[in-house]
Amino acid sequence: MLKSTKTLKTTLATLAVAALATAGLTGCAAGANVGGTLTYVTFQDAWTHADPQRNYTGRDIAWFGSYMHRTLTAYDRAEGAAGSAVVPDLATDTGTASNDNKTWTFTLRDGVSFDDGTPITCEDIKYGVSRTFATDVITDGPSYAIGMLDIPSAADGSSAYKGPYATEGNDTASFDKAITCSEDNKTITFNLKRSVGDFNYTTTYLSFGPVPKAADDGDQYDLHPVSSGPYKIESYKAKDSMVLVRNENWNKDSDPLRATRANPDKIVVKFGVAEEVRDQLLLTDSDPNTMSLDALLPTNLPTVFDETGNVLPAFEGRALNVYDPYVRFAFVNVKKLNCLPIRQAIYYAKDFNGLITLAGGQAFNGDPADGAIKPLMGLDYKKVTGYEDWTTSPNIEKATALMAQAKTECPDLYARATDKNRGLVYDIADSETNKKSAAIWIDSLAKAGIVIKFNFIEAGSYYSVVMDPTKQSDLSAAGWAPDWANASTVIPELFTTAGGFNLTQNADDPAYAEFEKLSNAALVESDRKKQGEQWAALNQYVMDQMWIIPGTFSKTQEIWGSGLGGVFFWEPQGAPSFGDIYIK
Amino acid sequence: MSGLLAYVSRRLAVTFLILLAVSFAVYLIFAFLPFDPATLTCGKNCNDPGIIEANRIRLGYDKPFYEQYWVFIVGLFAGRNYGEGAAAIHCAAPSFGYSFQQHACVTDLIGEALPVTLALAIGALVLWLILGIGLGVLSARFRGRVLDTASTIFVLIGTSLPTFLTGLMLIIFVVIKWHLLPFPAGGYSSPFEDFPGWLNTMILPWITLAFAYAALYTRFVRSQVIETSTEDYIRTARAKGLSEGLILGKHTLRAALAPIATMAGLDFAGLMGGAILTEAVFNLPGLGRLSLGAVLDYDLPIIVATTLLAAAIVVIMNLVLDLVYAFIDPRVRV
Repeated sequence: MLKSTKTLKTTLATLAVAALATAGLTGCAAGANVGGTLTYVTFQDAWTHADPQRNYTGRDIAWFGSYMHRTLTAYDRAEGAAGSAVVPDLATDTGTASNDNKTWTFTLRDGVSFDDGTPITCEDIKYGVSRTFATDVITDGPSYAIGMLDIPSAADGSSAYKGPYATEGNDTASFDKAITCSEDNKTITFNLKRSVGDFNYTTTYLSFGPVPKAADDGDQYDLHPVSSGPYKIESYKAKDSMVLVRNENWNKDSDPLRATRANPDKIVVKFGVAEEVRDQLLLTDSDPNTMSLDALLPTNLPTVFDETGNVLPAFEGRALNVYDPYVRFAFVNVKKLNCLPIRQAIYYAKDFNGLITLAGGQAFNGDPADGAIKPLMGLDYKKVTGYEDWTTSPNIEKATALMAQAKTECPDLYARATDKNRGLVYDIADSETNKKSAAIWIDSLAKAGIVIKFNFIEAGSYYSVVMDPTKQSDLSAAGWAPDWANASTVIPELFTTAGGFNLTQNADDPAYAEFEKLSNAALVESDRKKQGEQWAALNQYVMDQMWIIPGTFSKTQEIWGSGLGGVFFWEPQGAPSFGDIYIK
Repeated sequence: MSGLLAYVSRRLAVTFLILLAVSFAVYLIFAFLPFDPATLTCGKNCNDPGIIEANRIRLGYDKPFYEQYWVFIVGLFAGRNYGEGAAAIHCAAPSFGYSFQQHACVTDLIGEALPVTLALAIGALVLWLILGIGLGVLSARFRGRVLDTASTIFVLIGTSLPTFLTGLMLIIFVVIKWHLLPFPAGGYSSPFEDFPGWLNTMILPWITLAFAYAALYTRFVRSQVIETSTEDYIRTARAKGLSEGLILGKHTLRAALAPIATMAGLDFAGLMGGAILTEAVFNLPGLGRLSLGAVLDYDLPIIVATTLLAAAIVVIMNLVLDLVYAFIDPRVRV
């Protein structure tokens, strides 16, 4: 969903094993200086969340994971594909699976502690995970623990365990069985309700990190989370700033991932900086030790990049224009648009060039997508075939031919799609840009005889409207980033009835039963390479059925001051590798 | 005096009723907006009706809106409790509720934002009154001469430039390009703790706001002074041989003061609702930013509280103005 910026993959899960051996050896960039104050600026008033169980966007996870919150496993700090390898963090290795991947065991390293010096135990991690279940207090966080741990459901469908705060009717016994601690409080065992072959990717989420029970005060913990990493909070005030200082109780030897990286002495985040002021600070290099946490304003992009998206000489070495983890597309409501030729006709008649130019050009907004999986996903991506005659400008001839086919195959829907008074309806968030893009859609689809109307929905309530099947129209704009480096967080999530974000309403489609069978098989496939082929084939399946109208493989831009070194784009989090940044 | 007391208490009673009506109206509007607060508490993959419904009941959103409104009114006088166990939170009376987005009791949030807006509004008010009245009087006095023309140009620029543009230009040039002032540390510090820091934070926002308002006041004062100076009693004063300075000070300006006070009072009350653009450009955590953020986040408790506060200030300011008139203009005191 639009809310999160997350993982993508470019590499084998098997790399995790290789990386395990080198995790202790990979150091920071040569010449990294220790000391100094690193400043971040953002127009946001505060962090969305600082509480580990509530961190969900890739950027927040990358930031807090780098500086403060340790987890059982983490992504390696490396550029490109190597960054997507899972390495041990608090745990001694990347976990041991048994019982057909339904039982996962991790052992904690020696010498790991919170910022007051108290050792981190299995119980602290168990307590941290338990907070995810308090869905009324610990809001916005990922709910993987609820979905995966072997805990029964209550009558109303929610988990029988309601987290550590609930006092009545709470099935604490089930939770105690789902997560167990060894006698020495160093080994944690997760008992899952289904096979999860890549559970050690799930545990890279900060929501699987430790929280000391004594310091937890529910919602307010978001303001003063306890640190387990190299820095701790000195002060944090919304609309003002956050200051991190070194955590004297952090044991370097227990943290090979961060040991050679935590370079600055102090880290400051300035909140609420007006967007234009923020960009000017960076463009003029006013304070060279500053980095922006936000994307540049579109109007300032030409100052930094040329027309093709390359960094201009003046900004060489302090700006990036890269693919983010997102795929943008429109969900097809298959229940309403139950006619394949019409769905395909929409795809062919779409004016990609017009839409991307409106959004700021291909150089900054991304390339045409050919499905729901991005090429950055490496193994799981394979170029979709069968649409070779799709072009970035509308292929009206092909679209018209498909509509002619639809006229005989599905006359009822054809009649509606071509009726000026009825037409097809497209859900989209209400914004100036989207209103203009609607005009482009209407224009290009009309050339193929398709009538399309737009249902503009107020941006803040967009998803709560379209996720209600009684309110969703024929097509709904959306974007998705995988939660970790496996299309298991794309294909089943978006296209099966068990998924959390399936807006295709495809359950009654005759093609669905076979798809679900294949998807479930891929989910439990333990050979990662074979699993990749299965996801690629399912992506092809989705496109053969045209359950989405693909949009773009999108891009993002980053900028920082000339005094900073070690900045690179950390692919699995879709964010800069904050923990590697140092003052030159 | 007892007449005045009865008058004030009558006005205060009406004020209370108005505020009650305003708070009810805000609740009513939110009850019928097409968004679901329970869904908003749920994270990314959360279309799980189990979680949403459980949260709805736990947070009390399942109750009809008038019942939620009643809980709010009771909370105002008795305080409110949220959550249970380690997550329990108590907001003491007068409680406007708890903001889950900002992790704080709304009364505390208002308590933090109010001094910021107050400092901004008072500083700007002083500046624009000095500038506006001074320039207005001078250009009335030297009507048609260079000074008057210059002030006309000032008025034209001041009224046409939006505050966010003036503010941005000030920051970009004064702070970022010319380094005349250090980049504010962010946020707001109390003048009692760090006076130079406070001044550094407030000076540009004051100038920004005062610039826009001073232009309006210059125009207004100029026309008031010119209009009054043609009155018979001014001619009488002049005939009596009073100096021009004394006439201006004792007669002309005094007569022009009542409408200026009205205008200043209402403008000040308006600013107390939050100078949203100025606060946003200068990163001041005042009431404007608080309300804007709340509206974007659908943070109902804050919206109700800031709306009520803004309404209260306008109503009370009106009352204060009525009383002040009595002192400025003896004719009202009958």
